[in-house]
Amino acid sequence: MDMEALILSLKLAIWTLVLILPFGIWVAHSLQSMGKSRSWIEAGLALPLVLPPTVLGYYLLVGLSGKSFLGIPLVFSFTGILIASLIVNLPFAIQPIQRAFESINPEIIEAAQVSGLSNWQIFRLIELPLAWRGITSAAVLTFAHTLGEFGVILMVGGAIPGETKTVSIAIYDKVQSFDTAGAGALSLILLATSLVAIAISYGVFGRQPSRNRGGVNA
Amino acid sequence: MLKLKLSQTTPNPLQLSLECISGELHALVGPSGSGKTTALRTIAGLNNAQTGKIECDGELWFEANEIHGVTSALSPAKRSCGFLFQQYALFPHLSALENVCIPLYNSVTGLAERKTQAQQWLDRMGIGELTNRLPHQLSGGQQQRVALARALARSPKILLLDEPFSAVDAPTRQGLYKTLAELRKDLNIPILLVTHDLREADLLADRITVIDQGVGLQTAPPQVLFERPRNSRVAELVGINNKFTGVFNAGKLTWDDCDRVFEVIDKGKIPPNTPVAWVIPAEGLSLQAAPSETGIEAKVEQISALGQIAVIQLRTSEGNHVITWEASAAEVKRLSLDAGKKSYIEIDGNKIHIMPLRPINDPRRFSH
Repeated sequence: MDMEALILSLKLAIWTLVLILPFGIWVAHSLQSMGKSRSWIEAGLALPLVLPPTVLGYYLLVGLSGKSFLGIPLVFSFTGILIASLIVNLPFAIQPIQRAFESINPEIIEAAQVSGLSNWQIFRLIELPLAWRGITSAAVLTFAHTLGEFGVILMVGGAIPGETKTVSIAIYDKVQSFDTAGAGALSLILLATSLVAIAISYGVFGRQPSRNRGGVNA
Repeated sequence: MLKLKLSQTTPNPLQLSLECISGELHALVGPSGSGKTTALRTIAGLNNAQTGKIECDGELWFEANEIHGVTSALSPAKRSCGFLFQQYALFPHLSALENVCIPLYNSVTGLAERKTQAQQWLDRMGIGELTNRLPHQLSGGQQQRVALARALARSPKILLLDEPFSAVDAPTRQGLYKTLAELRKDLNIPILLVTHDLREADLLADRITVIDQGVGLQTAPPQVLFERPRNSRVAELVGINNKFTGVFNAGKLTWDDCDRVFEVIDKGKIPPNTPVAWVIPAEGLSLQAAPSETGIEAKVEQISALGQIAVIQLRTSEGNHVITWEASAAEVKRLSLDAGKKSYIEIDGNKIHIMPLRPINDPRRFSH
């Protein structure tokens, strides 16, 4: 089994998650109070959902070629596929959180306002705990999607072992070289990961309100 | 003391000025969509009016004028308002105790002290044993009490109640009335109650402001409001049944469609030969079995017995006017009243209250 590819995919998924979740929460929350520009921003954020991965990968390849602001070339590097992964995952990270914020009854926010809480306290003590389920969904979807991402990663990163060759690319390589057993083992791992992700998203949290208190007992 | 004067045309029209002193329970009464809740939300800072001023305890909460727009507006968090929402708006992820802890978050240092104070409020509301329950594990009445505890925990300068009893059943409502009456004595802050239930306002409020289409029509103690509504629309809104029209001329009221003339007390404000609406409260009506010089002949159309009280509907022979009279079951028996029977109504002219008949959009209607 290609453990190197598996570890690289996990590293990519974890880094993507760590960077995209705070950004996703911030964007999803900011969209609530936006006026006319909101629809345009939402459309832009949803673009990676409908754009063919090779097309998105091509533009990223062109965009990231040459020396970057970091002083190093980003294409065919881990940083490059991380940037690609962040862009591809924007809709998966933002939309569930946005829906979760939207589903909070506005009267609850008003009750928090008249209770004397500042906007930051309302966000931390009320909105964030109530949107917890959406945030978890976003995290699970982003993680699973990053593990399985193929087209964009291949375009931007190629298949450099230990640097850009993720599980999906390793599966493709193994099929190309008629290593069906190796491809099968890696595919099984991705299948199991996806099933766990779906189970977490739909089942484990049930339908009862969260008891996450958002630090109200601090 | 709360003093406010608000005016706006959009999104909902509002033209309201009122004062509510400490310890007073002031009810805002009007039909659905009349602007009661808008007024309450504006006081709390959840809406802003186009022009006006809100002062509480000498502190300026809001000021806006037509030239400069909003010149001063404290945020809802800084207004020190206890606000009780119609649908409670409890924080669903927090227990009853934690809900009441929230308003203490910035004013009380230390979690233990916050919890102690919150528990005291829950005890005071009679739900001290429900501390750890989540809102969805509480009944409507219990949720309402948690919401009331949360509204009061911050020791607000004013308490705003938005239709607080509309979502609970009758027995729970009675319990909440009692709690509110007890709290009033201790709190000594202005309490503003929004309700569409006139009986509730009559029962609880020291003064009532009738509001319609965003406009405050009359502010008065309940008894005055029921006996002397300022105009025909107020009479209609406060549910006065016996409302008629006539022509007023120098102390004499001629009832439309019949020759009856009543001697009526008036303050000399109504010009001669003015068409007026007039009302007669229940105590100004009496019924006799035998004819008399002043008795108005009427036929009993319907008797509806409601426990010990009967509502009798009569139609006058002259003018075909319908009069509603409430009487005890014993009185009905004494007069041997029955559908179709002739009776004689006595109307006490001294109890008649006359009001000018003006169109609803006449600005003079709103002057105080």
